Amino acid sequence: MNAIPPRARFGFVLLVGLGLLSLVAGRLFPDWLASSCPLGVDPTRPDRTVCELAFGGLWVSLAVGLVAGALSTLIGLVVAAVARLAGGPLEQVVLRAVDAVFALPDVLVVMVLQLAGQSLSDAGLGGGLGPFGLMVVSLSLVGWAGPARMFRNRLATLEGQEFVAAARALGGGGLHVLRVHLWPALRPFALAVFLSRLPTAILTESTVSFFGIARMEPMSLGRYLGTSYAALIYEGGGRVVLPAWALLVLLVLGASLASQALSASPRKAS
Amino acid sequence: MRTVLQRLARQLVLVPVVAVASYFLMAMLPLTTESETKRQVSPELAASYRRDLGIGEPLGFLRPWEKLFRGERLGTSAQGITGDELVRKLSGSVGVGLMALPLALAWALGFALLRTRWRKGRWAVLGDAVPAVAFGTPVFIPALLVAPAVVERGHLLPELCAALVTSLWPGIFLGTLVGDALETELSRDYVRTALGKGLAPGAVLRRHVLPNVMPALLDAVGPVATALLAGSFAAERVLGLPYFGQLYVLAVLNKQVAVVVVATTTFASLLVVVSLGIEAVRYWVDPRSREARA
Repeated sequence: MNAIPPRARFGFVLLVGLGLLSLVAGRLFPDWLASSCPLGVDPTRPDRTVCELAFGGLWVSLAVGLVAGALSTLIGLVVAAVARLAGGPLEQVVLRAVDAVFALPDVLVVMVLQLAGQSLSDAGLGGGLGPFGLMVVSLSLVGWAGPARMFRNRLATLEGQEFVAAARALGGGGLHVLRVHLWPALRPFALAVFLSRLPTAILTESTVSFFGIARMEPMSLGRYLGTSYAALIYEGGGRVVLPAWALLVLLVLGASLASQALSASPRKAS
Repeated sequence: MRTVLQRLARQLVLVPVVAVASYFLMAMLPLTTESETKRQVSPELAASYRRDLGIGEPLGFLRPWEKLFRGERLGTSAQGITGDELVRKLSGSVGVGLMALPLALAWALGFALLRTRWRKGRWAVLGDAVPAVAFGTPVFIPALLVAPAVVERGHLLPELCAALVTSLWPGIFLGTLVGDALETELSRDYVRTALGKGLAPGAVLRRHVLPNVMPALLDAVGPVATALLAGSFAAERVLGLPYFGQLYVLAVLNKQVAVVVVATTTFASLLVVVSLGIEAVRYWVDPRSREARA
């Protein structure tokens, strides 16, 4: 634990703290939160308090970010490993596909995928995916390109090192080298990549939900902000919007700090 | 020359890939109208869906573009769009993006200078916290905060505010990169040599350091341009600007699938044009890129 940079430690503490807070306040004791909320009720939903909606949204946003971040990191890792193992023209084709996916903004592609997924679900062809699953799949289909590019570059760098050349000279096959020699060196980097996907996934989900395109229920922070921003035109409406914004910023701040610090010194983190 | 053409081809291939992928994704949607319980779209929208996408026809994926070039309306009469309207809306969004670009550069320069100053003092933590807060604040939040004061005013004030809120994160991001590159270059031997030979610090910066910082700046301009254009979607929606971002969001919400196909491809083409522009500038200002290609 001492080897983890202070910024990363702060980011981790912030993330875990927010996760615990959302679990305790939003999921385990929502009644207590409803009765003791100092911010009062949401004017657009008189039956719910601002605290209930904000902490409930925090839990949903964090869950979407964690699952989508993990899935896109895993897809990126598999794609990069397959590309490096295959090499040659196949690797070049994969890299061009990565460039094509990477070129378009996440928000735009997720909106199109949400439209397609919702139409399939409405026609009974959604494969049992609810709004949460649909959002996670959309974010993962968009988000794998960045991790794939990062893993591929990292693998290419690691493969140039002497311990890999020695393993190959001793007869180690591609899969053996990947599993025994490269993966241990890649693990801390994988954690940094996952943490870098977390805020991106949360922000993309928030923006798409804010537009009203995703039907996240219970509401995420983005959907809550999207449905309650009309409160800003009333006096004191800031009490409805600002807590959700602050939670969103803290969540992304925690993940960004942890990811930046781990990316800067991945070896120390191991 | 071959390498340059290869790079151009890599950029340009994105447009047909996006056009075909978005067309077939939309064409396979089961937008049912048969039974009342499962009805997803109105009969008028379902008719425009089949008509505009040319479903079941040979080369049907060219149909939306044919209609646009003939000046016909895509989608329904109330929510569809013609080619002229698309160009007008796109130029509105590009205009907001062009207003945002100098603002982002101003934020970048200001933040790079402040970060260099903070690094040596007790405010060093702000050098990391400000980018994280800027990144963690989606564009719609500052847009929401300014919206009540500007939406009804007109006189380009909503456009200016959209540019301002859109430029925040890209500007800070650019400032972080430029600050880091500047610091790295300033610590190099050639800078010490130039200063030791009596050249003024301003001249060292202008003649020696900035040309070496330029490639880092150009590397960042591509993602920044994408962020500005994508960020304008949210700003336009909140500030009620009737441009491309608003068109796109409404097309998705109202299931105007032909408009989605055309708008997605147009947006990808715009990004390709920006990338080609950046490549041209890089070729012009960075002799290393010309040498590498030769």
